[in-house]
Amino acid sequence: MNGGGDLRRGQWLGVLALVEREVVRRVVRLWPQTIAPQVTASALFVVVFGLALGNSIRTVGGVPYEQFIVPGLTLMGVATAAFANNATTLFQARSDGFIEDPVSSPMTPAQLAVAYTSGGVIRGLVIGLLTLGAARVFVAFPLRHPAAFLLALLLAALAFSGLGTVVGLYSRSWELQSFVGSLVIQPLVFLGGVFYSVQSLDAPWEAVSHLDPILYMVEAGRYGLLGRADVDPWISFGVSGGLAALMLAWSWWLFERGEGLRT
Amino acid sequence: MDPGDHITALACRGVAKAFPGDVLALDGLDLDVPRGAFFGLLGPNGAGKTTLIRSIVGLTRPDGGHIEVFGRRTDGATAAESRRLIGYAPQDAGLDRFVTVRRVLELHGRYFGMTRGDAAARTDELLEVFDLADKATVLPNRLSGGMKRRLVLARALVHRPPLVILDEPTAGVDIELRLDLWQYIRRLHADGTTILLTTHYLEEAEALCERVAFIRAGRIAAQGEPPELISRFGAERLEDVYLRLVGR
Repeated sequence: MNGGGDLRRGQWLGVLALVEREVVRRVVRLWPQTIAPQVTASALFVVVFGLALGNSIRTVGGVPYEQFIVPGLTLMGVATAAFANNATTLFQARSDGFIEDPVSSPMTPAQLAVAYTSGGVIRGLVIGLLTLGAARVFVAFPLRHPAAFLLALLLAALAFSGLGTVVGLYSRSWELQSFVGSLVIQPLVFLGGVFYSVQSLDAPWEAVSHLDPILYMVEAGRYGLLGRADVDPWISFGVSGGLAALMLAWSWWLFERGEGLRT
Repeated sequence: MDPGDHITALACRGVAKAFPGDVLALDGLDLDVPRGAFFGLLGPNGAGKTTLIRSIVGLTRPDGGHIEVFGRRTDGATAAESRRLIGYAPQDAGLDRFVTVRRVLELHGRYFGMTRGDAAARTDELLEVFDLADKATVLPNRLSGGMKRRLVLARALVHRPPLVILDEPTAGVDIELRLDLWQYIRRLHADGTTILLTTHYLEEAEALCERVAFIRAGRIAAQGEPPELISRFGAERLEDVYLRLVGR
């Protein structure tokens, strides 16, 4: 390439530049919009639900309530941040037309998918870890299986980054993103056992809760952080991994097809 | 960037593209642009110019035919290789409004495979050439229309492409900026870059282009050197040739 480097190396330099653009130039520079609100909201959930309700709901399955909600809140932060990041950045770049710059570059569709997915994953993980840090200010909690907990965060970030990409590429207006965020993800998160144990639900609601894929992500995180879960960890990680694979495959297929990018 | 020893910078063979609603934008178009040429693509609105250009740079997928850039097909295994040989300055410039003017240029260079250092050095050079050095730290949406045009042209050149495609680069700009842009483009051509230019200003095509092609209804209706076309059609100016070809 310019100066004699090979094409493949140049393509990966492009991927790094796009990740840098997404993370450093957008997420970090716009932190009052991209990071602070979500971390603050999660910290407020810990304070309001954990500390206030914790006085009336002492324990869930032997775990203090204020500890019980931390993994779910962390996962909720990861999921909503990764989704919002990709849905917003892709729609904005398409709408303003500047996405044509990377799309007409030598990067392949798969490499574009890697770059945008990485941006959503990094923002999701940053939000998740900051949420965990903020929660730690108010609540003491153990970290029983660190690798499992990080894996749970990573799978959630991958799945929702992929879903954000899908929505960002399909959107013709801001409405789809808003619809999916408010009327699909948020209800699934709240019904996914973030604030309660699904075992405490009566039939048929306990069985219905198991149709919610976010339940498995929350339970995977709960196993990693607290060492206990309502769902077998193998099942939780299996479903989380399957969902991440499905979303990534869908988003990569859309890049290959040029959905919303090429006519 | 080494385009190899191909004597044809751009070859289009039977390129066809239809859009939903039976809108036939390109109808088996054939076109050759020799290496090093200053080539004008002219035609009325809706003739297929922008569809052709977007097909060349990979933003539109033709339904039929194929395109080669310095011998590399723009589809299949050589698509990425062909794209790095092209610099594209669109008419409706989408400029990233979240990064500064400097970053717009640097990021473009890096998307096209330049190292951070090479992209930064080339950016410094282009900021000077296009009189944008004092705007380097400004966001693009704070620039005037003329400055945005210069930035779009500069962006297309960061990775030193041997083929530069300019879609209506002077549309709607004042005469002073138009002359400045002509000067930049002429200098670029003098350095050996192949230029493919679309324009509505026929005097611009006559002044700049060594060879022009008229596109109508998705096909090349006529092509040649401007004096040759003027003589072939018994016209006085390129504008008369154009009017005859569009049936007026």
